[in-house]
Amino acid sequence: MLKQIKLLTKLELCNIYNLNVLRFSKNSRRKKKDLSVMMLWLFLIVMLIFYVSNLSYGLLRLELGSLIPAYLITVASLLIFFFGIFKAGNTIFRKNGYDILCSLPINRTAIVVGRFLRLYVENLVIAFLIVMPGLFVYAWFLKPGAAFYILGALSILILPLVPITASILIGAVIMGISSRMKHKSLTAAALSVLFVLLIMYGSSRLSIMEETITPEMLRELSSVIMGTLEKVYPPAVWLGRAVIAGSFMPCFICAGAFLAVFAAAAAIVSIFFHSISQSLCTTSARHNYELKTLKKSSVLSSLCKREFRRYFSSSIYVTNTIIGPILGCILSGALLFTGTDVITKSLPIPLDICAFAPFVFSGIFCMMTTTATSISMEGKNWWILKSLPLSPKSVLNAKILMNLLLMLPFYLISEVLLIPALKPETFFDGFFLCLIPAVIILFSCVYGIAVNLHFPVLNWENEITIVKQSISAILGGMGGVFLSAVCAVIIFLISQEYYALFKALICIFILGATALLHKRITAPDAWRRYEL
Amino acid sequence: MLTIDHLTKHYKGSNKGVTDICLEIEAGDIYAFIGHNGAGKTTTIKCVAGIHDFDSGKILIDGSSIRENPLLCKSRFAYIPDNPDLYEYLTGIQYLNFIADVFNVPARIREELIGRYGNEFEITSSLGDLISTYSHGMKQKLAIISALIHQPKLLILDEPFVGLDPKASVILKNIMREICDGGGAIFFSTHVLDVAERLCNKVAIIKDGSLIASGSMEEILKQGESLESIFMEVVKNA
Repeated sequence: MLKQIKLLTKLELCNIYNLNVLRFSKNSRRKKKDLSVMMLWLFLIVMLIFYVSNLSYGLLRLELGSLIPAYLITVASLLIFFFGIFKAGNTIFRKNGYDILCSLPINRTAIVVGRFLRLYVENLVIAFLIVMPGLFVYAWFLKPGAAFYILGALSILILPLVPITASILIGAVIMGISSRMKHKSLTAAALSVLFVLLIMYGSSRLSIMEETITPEMLRELSSVIMGTLEKVYPPAVWLGRAVIAGSFMPCFICAGAFLAVFAAAAAIVSIFFHSISQSLCTTSARHNYELKTLKKSSVLSSLCKREFRRYFSSSIYVTNTIIGPILGCILSGALLFTGTDVITKSLPIPLDICAFAPFVFSGIFCMMTTTATSISMEGKNWWILKSLPLSPKSVLNAKILMNLLLMLPFYLISEVLLIPALKPETFFDGFFLCLIPAVIILFSCVYGIAVNLHFPVLNWENEITIVKQSISAILGGMGGVFLSAVCAVIIFLISQEYYALFKALICIFILGATALLHKRITAPDAWRRYEL
Repeated sequence: MLTIDHLTKHYKGSNKGVTDICLEIEAGDIYAFIGHNGAGKTTTIKCVAGIHDFDSGKILIDGSSIRENPLLCKSRFAYIPDNPDLYEYLTGIQYLNFIADVFNVPARIREELIGRYGNEFEITSSLGDLISTYSHGMKQKLAIISALIHQPKLLILDEPFVGLDPKASVILKNIMREICDGGGAIFFSTHVLDVAERLCNKVAIIKDGSLIASGSMEEILKQGESLESIFMEVVKNA
């Protein structure tokens, strides 16, 4: 059994982050492209390290250094948990290679443990990148004893275990329920979104409790933050305190408990693994079709329908891209019910919420566009579009149109709720409240395609690698958010009397940039230019 | 109908590819393209189908260059790959309807052709099911029907008989002959030399990316007992 676990874990890890393909690929052009993607990742990692280091330094300057381990462990654990909900189920119960593994004399527990360990290693990297810079900053300035280093390393090693376990169990429940449904992917997507929204609601309730903070408590900021962290994720605080105090015993107890939870989850999942995987792999075919009248559609409409079918066939694709628009609608609704006073009071400086709301909502809507991964999602089917008499323009327009149509109902609902919630004072305020999100959404969709054309990945084995881990998904998601933030900063810097003028200029500029970008990416030689 | 003129395509950073391939496929031809694994058959076919770009040479379909007029060329042929990776999230009929929409096939004609080929390949009852439920052979049949639905003049097929049951193979061969009798042409790769010998009027043999023999089947067969023995001999000596 141990030998099987070792073998399967090795197999799972051999191509982690596409390293095996990069190592053995003889295609120098592809290697160059992969290396440039790795450089981009490296850049993002450096940015993350820089951010965490600065944050930790800031805490040290505020004499809150003792919070660093607990704070960073909480952040890393929450990130691992949230991202895990979307991908854990798909990683553990993925169909790819299931038949081959089942035909081999391998214990199913070994398969499950191998997949658990893959998730562990992937998330260990996240834990390392978030916690290590903070611990380094702490050690650099406060020169703690040897115990700090040992326990710090141990805490990084064990911190992914519990959040992974939690996300796997939620993933298993989602997969277990959806495997019994006819529309498996759609059910899994709906359940994932529901879980995430429930967790968000729960965490918002936690922060609401903090409204009772008194001035006395503010004087004891450290204990207030510790108290909040303890509410969010108590093990992080236990671990953090143990690391700072150099106490081995609490750390060992945590490690033991975490490992026990992880092992127990592996044991539970392995019991249901076979039946869930089998149900997911089983497809029902009726074989009772009779030829009916067929309808002819235009090429664009046909391509667009196909895009929608592709979209809704993948639960991970849906959950990753629909959260933003749903969140936009929920926030608009919340704003309508609570009023703007709650937000105005919580802001450190007085702001005209109506002026900034369009940018905030644009950012939320564009957190992840479908277009940013829609070319990569074609995968092994890319030959079909390439061999058909279809211009890049029609293929890409269909992808953009699909994304716009998907966002349209959410956009409309959000606007219908936002207008009475914000009560724009002038016509222009209302006009830009509607126009700016529409313009930024349009830009994000086109920008998403442009990013994916630069970083396409067609030879993937698992959709997760595209939707959650590809550079295209990361950069595609950042575009709209970054643009919204930049525009908001511009508006913040100018005088209120010029708001309408600058908003109009921003819209014209973004529309112009979108048109240019669209023209460039949909040129007839696009496939050749982007080596697709 | 199809002219491949000094086609050269090499994969960057690899010595794989094809060099200086010249072939002429005329109306009425059933042209077999044979060679061992990795010889360059699929690379050539993918260049012809407009899936791969190439380094030098020309590929003309009815006189139009695939590089300069890709849409015009692609509207004249149909291509079926060696491994039919179709849209598994569509049903068979949705896939066929999609292809028919792309080629602007009138509703009446698509109904007629889907009905005819669906019944011939005995797949009509499964057309309402998702392609993900299909076996390899069923996917191959669906790919063949999708290739025929717009009545192309030129069929480019990569290992079309792999995965087909004996009856479907016979039907496909009959359809291939029918297309050629109607003034069309077929260019296909195969490892089944018996089929190539009996079905084709022309053959080309490729080895390590270069063409080592080509011409009419009659001429080639004059060099030995069977296509199989000639193929072994030519490949050994090349």
